[in-house]
Amino acid sequence: MREIVSQVLMVPPASVKPESRLYDLGAESIDYLDLIFRIEEAVGKKVPVSRWESFVRERLPGANLADAITVAFITEFAESERARV
Amino acid sequence: MTERVAITGIGVVSPIGIGAWEFAAALKRGQSGARRISAFDCEGLATQIAAEVDDSGFDAGAWVDPPKMVKHMSRSARFAVAAAAMARREAGLNGHDVDPYRIAISLGAGGMGPVDMDLLTGQARAAIASARDRTDDELDVPAFSREFRARTNPISMLRGLPNLAAAHVAIQQNARGPNNTITTACSAGTQAIGEGLRAIQRGDADVVIAGGTDAMINPVGVLGFSMLGTLSQQNDDPEHASRPFDARRDGFVIGEGAGIVVLERESVARARGARVLAELAGYGCTCDAYRITDERPDAEAAVRAIQLCLADADASADDVEYINAHGTGTQMNDITETTAVRTAFGGKPLPPMSSTKSMIGHLLAAAGAVELAATVLGMTDRFLPPTINFEVPDPACELDCVANVARPARIDAALSNSFGFGGQNACLMIRRW
Repeated sequence: MREIVSQVLMVPPASVKPESRLYDLGAESIDYLDLIFRIEEAVGKKVPVSRWESFVRERLPGANLADAITVAFITEFAESERARV
Repeated sequence: MTERVAITGIGVVSPIGIGAWEFAAALKRGQSGARRISAFDCEGLATQIAAEVDDSGFDAGAWVDPPKMVKHMSRSARFAVAAAAMARREAGLNGHDVDPYRIAISLGAGGMGPVDMDLLTGQARAAIASARDRTDDELDVPAFSREFRARTNPISMLRGLPNLAAAHVAIQQNARGPNNTITTACSAGTQAIGEGLRAIQRGDADVVIAGGTDAMINPVGVLGFSMLGTLSQQNDDPEHASRPFDARRDGFVIGEGAGIVVLERESVARARGARVLAELAGYGCTCDAYRITDERPDAEAAVRAIQLCLADADASADDVEYINAHGTGTQMNDITETTAVRTAFGGKPLPPMSSTKSMIGHLLAAAGAVELAATVLGMTDRFLPPTINFEVPDPACELDCVANVARPARIDAALSNSFGFGGQNACLMIRRW
């Protein structure tokens, strides 16, 4: 997932750490569509954007998303999608 | 007296050079940018040649911050952003020189169908996958939609919006004033610069980053113009295929790139001590209102555009010392344009009129902007760009077309013409400052 983030945001892989906030790496809302598309490719199945949105709502209720969405968080989402049957 | 408008910077991405001065040097050498197409496998196409921007010498990423913005840009947006950054640097216009809300963008942009190979490939793959279980050749739209959705990165959709090139230029240049995209085909670049002049004159902006950009060297672009019968088919000799005003011309060669100029209100340019390259003195614009692609045989509306431009500059035909022609190298354009200029000049002897398309090809929505840049560079650097590949004169285009070699000349005023499908006619005039 760190590799995907590095490709999507075109930043050096070394700058993508689990605790890095995507906002600080330059992400804007459109980049999440790119991330989810690449997660789809990586897990080999359809990942509706709506599921990402509800994942965020459930795990981070009321949070400032610029602060809260980290590389570790989106990795957790990708893992949950991979595990989903 | 109304304030004049200065051209203080030029940026060019072209098939024969990146940056204004590299471009000027290539024009002076009479260099051709036409080659066999390398962007895609063109085997079997009627036209297999184009004037491409050499990617080994062009890195959009060097002009873009943050770097990830590059992936959101179409090829034409990349050209525009790079040319705008070059023009701004050339103008020496810093962030504190002018209020960002007083900086406007006026950009000619085009495109038809899929804007790049990624999008085209995505559509083709989806069509193939959706047809797998079918025995007829109807498009199964639900299946196509499913396959397209699964194979296409959603962000690629944004690259196809015509206004996004101008938006990207604004983001990179922090230009928060009016942001306009002109999509009038082959006259778009000229009209965008003319409308930029108007934006300053009517008080909407103090600085306008104006020009045009296009990148149509993809299978649909080349096939499209080829099917319309507008392209040269001299595949065996690409460098000599673009031959405006020559009796053996057989159509244009598609080019790609961008030309951007920084237009500046006189008082603003003076206040910051800017070096001025030329005055943007006049603009005229009309429509044939006649046929889709055929031009009025008497060129009446094109004549009017040239006359309006001269009047706007408070000039007469006698003042014009050089004309940068639209000069596509199609049979019809070159004859009608000759008629137009002859009529507009009312029988007076014509000044030299050359076509830089002989070297760079037809840059479509960028053409007029890159050609205005060539005209300004010729004025500053004291030369007239040549019409290369001129061998056999055409009696229907009796002109001094600055045949084959650039000519040293000190000119004080010049015109640049553009005409487009749909009957678009536009003309700009520049004057020594």
